[in-house]
Amino acid sequence: MKVTVDAVEVEVEEGTTMLEAARAAGRYVPTLCFDERMAPFGACRVCMVGVEGNDAPLASCTTPCSDGQQIHTDDETARRIATATVELVLSELPAEPEEHTELAEVARALEVGEPRWQGVQHEPKHDARHPYLAFQHELCISCGRCVRACDEVQGAFALTATGRGFHSNVTAGLDSGFTDSTCVTCGACADTCPTDAITEHLLLDLVGDPAKDGGPQ
Amino acid sequence: MSTRFDQSTTTTCGYCGVGCRLEAHRVDGSVRSISPAMDGPANKGHTCVKGRFAHQFARSRDRLTAPLVRENDGFRLASWDEAIGRITEAFNKIKAEHGPDAIAGLASSRGTNEDCYAMQRLMRAAVGTHNIDNCSRVCHSPTSFAMRSSLGLSGATGSFDDFEAADVALLVGVNPTQGHPVVGARIKQAAINGLKLITADPRRIELSDYGELHLPMRPGTNAALLNGLAHVVIRDGMVDSAFVDARTEGFDATAELVEAYTPDAVEGITGIPAADIERAAHLYGEAENACISWGLGVTEHLYGSEVVQLICNLALMTGNIARPGAALLPLRGQNNVQGSSDHAALPDTWTDYRPVTDDAVTSSFEERWGVKLKRERGMTIPEMFDAAVEGSLKAMYIFGEDVAQTDPDTAHVEKALDSLDFLVCQDIFDTETSKHADVILPASSFLEKTGTFTNAERRLQMVTPAADPPGSAKTDLEIICMVSKALGHDMGYESSADVMDEVAEMTPRYAGISHDRIGRTGLQWPVAKDGTDTPILYTERFEREGGLARFAALPYKPPGDAADDEFPLILVTGRRLEHYNAGTMTRRTENLSLLPSDTLEVNPVDAERIGVKAGEEVTVRSRVGEIRLPADVTERIEPGHVFTAFHFPEVRTNLLVGQSADVNTSCPEYKVVAVSVESVRSPGERPQPAELVTA
Amino acid sequence: MSHNLIEMLRARERDGEPTAMSILKDAVRDHGEVTDDDRRRAAERSGLPEATVYGISSFYDDLTEPRGHRHVAACNGTACWAANAGDYVGDLGERLGLKPGERSEDGEVSYGTVYCLGFCHSGPAFRDGEVVDAGEGALARVAGGAAVQAEEPEGRSVLDEPVLLRPGDWSGLTHALESMSPEELLEEVKEANLRGRGGAGFPAGKKWEFARNTDSPDGKAIVVNGDEGDPGSYIDKHLMERNPDLLIEGMALAGYAVGAERGLVLVRSEYPLSMPALRAAVERAREAGHLGEDIHGSGFDFDIDIEEGAGSYVVGEETALLGSLMGLRGTVSARPPFPAQRGWHGKPTVVNNVETLCNVPFIASNGAEAYSALSPGVTPGTKLVCLNERFRNPGLHEVRFGTTVREICEDLGGGLVDDREISAVQIGGPLGGILPAKLLDTPLDFDELADVGCMVGHGSILAFDDQTDMRALATHLLEFGAEESCGKCFPCRIGLQRAHEMSARPELIDRGRLEELLETLELGSLCAHGGGMPAPIRSLIEHFPSELGLTNGDGPDQPDLGAEGDRRPEEKAQAGPQQPAEDGA
Repeated sequence: MKVTVDAVEVEVEEGTTMLEAARAAGRYVPTLCFDERMAPFGACRVCMVGVEGNDAPLASCTTPCSDGQQIHTDDETARRIATATVELVLSELPAEPEEHTELAEVARALEVGEPRWQGVQHEPKHDARHPYLAFQHELCISCGRCVRACDEVQGAFALTATGRGFHSNVTAGLDSGFTDSTCVTCGACADTCPTDAITEHLLLDLVGDPAKDGGPQ
Repeated sequence: MSTRFDQSTTTTCGYCGVGCRLEAHRVDGSVRSISPAMDGPANKGHTCVKGRFAHQFARSRDRLTAPLVRENDGFRLASWDEAIGRITEAFNKIKAEHGPDAIAGLASSRGTNEDCYAMQRLMRAAVGTHNIDNCSRVCHSPTSFAMRSSLGLSGATGSFDDFEAADVALLVGVNPTQGHPVVGARIKQAAINGLKLITADPRRIELSDYGELHLPMRPGTNAALLNGLAHVVIRDGMVDSAFVDARTEGFDATAELVEAYTPDAVEGITGIPAADIERAAHLYGEAENACISWGLGVTEHLYGSEVVQLICNLALMTGNIARPGAALLPLRGQNNVQGSSDHAALPDTWTDYRPVTDDAVTSSFEERWGVKLKRERGMTIPEMFDAAVEGSLKAMYIFGEDVAQTDPDTAHVEKALDSLDFLVCQDIFDTETSKHADVILPASSFLEKTGTFTNAERRLQMVTPAADPPGSAKTDLEIICMVSKALGHDMGYESSADVMDEVAEMTPRYAGISHDRIGRTGLQWPVAKDGTDTPILYTERFEREGGLARFAALPYKPPGDAADDEFPLILVTGRRLEHYNAGTMTRRTENLSLLPSDTLEVNPVDAERIGVKAGEEVTVRSRVGEIRLPADVTERIEPGHVFTAFHFPEVRTNLLVGQSADVNTSCPEYKVVAVSVESVRSPGERPQPAELVTA
Repeated sequence: MSHNLIEMLRARERDGEPTAMSILKDAVRDHGEVTDDDRRRAAERSGLPEATVYGISSFYDDLTEPRGHRHVAACNGTACWAANAGDYVGDLGERLGLKPGERSEDGEVSYGTVYCLGFCHSGPAFRDGEVVDAGEGALARVAGGAAVQAEEPEGRSVLDEPVLLRPGDWSGLTHALESMSPEELLEEVKEANLRGRGGAGFPAGKKWEFARNTDSPDGKAIVVNGDEGDPGSYIDKHLMERNPDLLIEGMALAGYAVGAERGLVLVRSEYPLSMPALRAAVERAREAGHLGEDIHGSGFDFDIDIEEGAGSYVVGEETALLGSLMGLRGTVSARPPFPAQRGWHGKPTVVNNVETLCNVPFIASNGAEAYSALSPGVTPGTKLVCLNERFRNPGLHEVRFGTTVREICEDLGGGLVDDREISAVQIGGPLGGILPAKLLDTPLDFDELADVGCMVGHGSILAFDDQTDMRALATHLLEFGAEESCGKCFPCRIGLQRAHEMSARPELIDRGRLEELLETLELGSLCAHGGGMPAPIRSLIEHFPSELGLTNGDGPDQPDLGAEGDRRPEEKAQAGPQQPAEDGA
């Protein structure tokens, strides 16, 4: 079937999502919880797009296209919601995201400013027990990518979402650290994490990384 | 573009045969981090603990950074000139006094195709002998022999994608989640989502928990199992007669032979319940598309090469070959075990397994190199050690292999090395083997060289350096060329690309291969001159004379070792996820803290009988040696068998392994060693509190 | 939901095996808390990974707080809150010597709050073990360990022959099995335009058809949403406890029409009387041959399992419900895939509300036309509404669609006790708009209520009298919203926290900022929890702006002028805002 994204027409198969169609058309849609190797999750709501004939914007990663649809990635409302959402995310983190992270990239792309809504932030909690993987729980935005990578790519099922609501986070095993879980240290979680909540010690230790010095205690 | 790194280089992993494509990130001249390449054909953005994290060894202080020469009982630093000078002096002397066949070379299945090709050219052209072998001898040589015999070519018939396209997969003697983690993960995902998995292994492997059926056969009884499956396939009408008639020969003899392998008879030999044998046969035989995958649990046996032929039989009689989802996929362990053999680092073949006895082929090399060559094969590794002990082999040049740790019957190997007049070791670290060397040459890791590896899918992929060899270490190719030149044969290569160009020139099936063409996605041989590669083999014909595949009617014969009163248990050896083979690289990374030592897996029934608890030290004795290590009591291993790995020199597992080896290829029978296991505790001593040490 | 985890659960499906969640609940019942050993055991038995079980144990209220042998809970639902009983949560806590979430040193007693016990007709309500006491003197009785089970007022129907407020008599099922094919029954339900009664109002017939048309060699399921967590609502509770046979009959009919052989009900754990009533009804039905194999010789098999929830409001959302039923975390999943394609254990599943299914026996017996005739010209069928403690006649009332809210409040409800004035009513649950007194003549129906920013929702009609402070109400609602957010989607997870913070702070609320946040919640959220929370807040902004304490954000405080029906500034100053709640509650 044919779908138009920002006036670019693309031919797509049944079941293609709007995000896939947008990418096929070479159009930019920001995402935070999406990873092409895993099933779409629909958590971040940053991938909002406008669709002709629909009042409200739609989350493009989990919405299939229909024939003849006209999709607008630059829809005003969609962008406004996406920007506000990223702002909310920035407001819950105790420090600005490191420049190289996907979160920082998306915030730049959407030109997100100082969050309009301020309040309580995540408590710092560092887990350095594993020889390679570093866990900075306060940077977790509960996008679920690490849990899904450990589930759908590696199949070790070592990670889980924890808590509920604002207190949601992620942990390994019985909150016992990577080493005491079924983790096989494949690093898929660190590869996919958009905020460096999970990353490598070696990368955190890189000398001369200016952003790091301003990071959390 | 990340500003954290000075440079990122895409390369191919040097650990296992999956061949993950990796991005190596450099900061201040060394690799600080590695991440998976999203477009890697085998790994698709994923990798494992070794490829991802175990790269610190490259920066280890233990790295050999300058040549060493023996002086008195130790070594001293030397210049390249001096070191190479010593080699040429020794080799020339030995050649003059004993002939070139008194010298042997050992190429590394970890090295690149170009390294291996250059090494065999050095031995053949510069030294003048066909005494060149590589460590696939001790792992997948039976696969090579058998597949060439039954089908024509030595390699997987398809790709890893076939696991996802299949309805059924039979895994025999292979533990992918440990030895080929990325492929293991892919198989696991497929199994959770509908792939019916049958695991045949004396141990309950991780994938067994996601499988449809587990067949725990007694070590060494693979042939009986496979003949038993064939029996049921034939008996119950699951043979693809159209395929058998059109594309194979020799079926009748096989059908006749397997008549005796009834499920009950096979149960008697293997210990697998007859009903499970029936079920497994039906799962495989009724599948739309089925794959068979195997590893060293098949090959490292007395009759390993025969078992591979029986595996081919099963695929041929059901027509499960030569299309997506229907493939034979030997999981080659090392990053370049496929390629090192493809590229002639073997005593009896040229590139693409063309025999040295073939006059036309040998002539082509004679012409290309301007030398004269024999048309008789050289020595295999076991033959080299025997010859060393006996006195007819005087010198060896070994690169990238720690035979004193990884080869069977360590005592015999050490005796062999000590018997040599001259030993050259080319490696990145000191090893158990280099302790016996006369000259040690400092070489490069996979992160520091240019070349290609061929993974278990027959896919050649580029290796691109992300750092320089440390100190005055050089790349293996450079060293081999230097030594060759010093011995009087200048190979004239200016780059590793030149080496591959020569390979393509000399090898019709590799004619279209070049570094340029390989690009980011690699090429699966055969590669035609125009660059078309071959993801699936045998779609039109089998590569044997006449174009037909061949059934092999082979009976079961007992393994080379068997349990008896003195040695009542059978030891199976294998791999662990966190470490790689001799552990030379991984033990110099934080992987050591993930798995600092090994244990002996013992079934609770046996543990009770022996009187040992989890965590306690045990002594393991075989007919040829003895080791000590802690026990791990687990139900993963069947009663009557024990298991451990071989990554730790402190344990030196291979002291236990004897001389039994595959009848056709001399691949050692690592998988069937009769042992006794005793608690180290002296009688009357109180047992230690049990600590669960889980593998 | 994780595709893999569902496949793993499906592969290990054995009838009667408990879910991981229920194993953990048993652990709490046994020793008052969940330990790592309990988690490992639950993982082993359920086939789920250990980490997954840890995540499950950290999601549900029943699993995260330590329980004593005696657990006391004070209802924090809106009706109890609106009963003008002061700080009863704090008062009872003081008497017990415990703060909410605490357990006594000797492990004997624990205290907590809960949203909601379903005794909105007699609030404030308190649970002591399996007994729920409510109303006059309840706090003192509970504090003294002498709780008395509160009674529920009888339900009343405006019809001579109630459709819903009647015991089930199996005539619908018998008729359908004898003289209708499954397709015919499905058509009848479609014709009847039975709209879901749980809040979304989605046509049940369409949902059934979707599931019917999805092939499944493994079978299909009818799942009943017995997780009526809306503060103010006790309709499903009444049906499950008083008319369980009617519900079971409805489930069996649904199974027949859809081609499902399994029925499951998730009953919330906050309703201690519902589960035993349902279990007993299932037993009776089996004995009488209404459930089981080859029911009444028809060739139709159908049986039912009752599962208990573990304390979470959001599992009332259908995908979260399915997750919880399978023992997983109760987080919401994106759709597609819809439950009708891939639901419980990956099978085609219909999720229906309790009240919705209770309508089906009537339709099966009497047909679509008779059903439409019950409320001519408007949405067909009848609706149960429930009134809170403020009314003279609280309890359930069965009404026709189109009845005005005023008629319900004054004629049926008898107005408020002590002759107090209704200042506003919240209809349909905490995510429903708030109807000010001046709009009480709005008819109770889907479109009409939507036009004034309200909804039918689940049918609760919760009156606030002149003592209720609207800012405090906003804070109360947003606190509920934030507490019960599943935490998956960003706008709701963070946005409700921020909205609550804005309302809980003593300062005036920047109206523009609030509206931007509400828009983000409404349009960005993954489900109707975050998506619906703005509705009541918007009602308050529109109808009670000065009580809310809004500012335009430029210069010193510029409160909006009071609108008609709004309370005068002096009254607001008297009542005062409630203490700001603890952050991150």
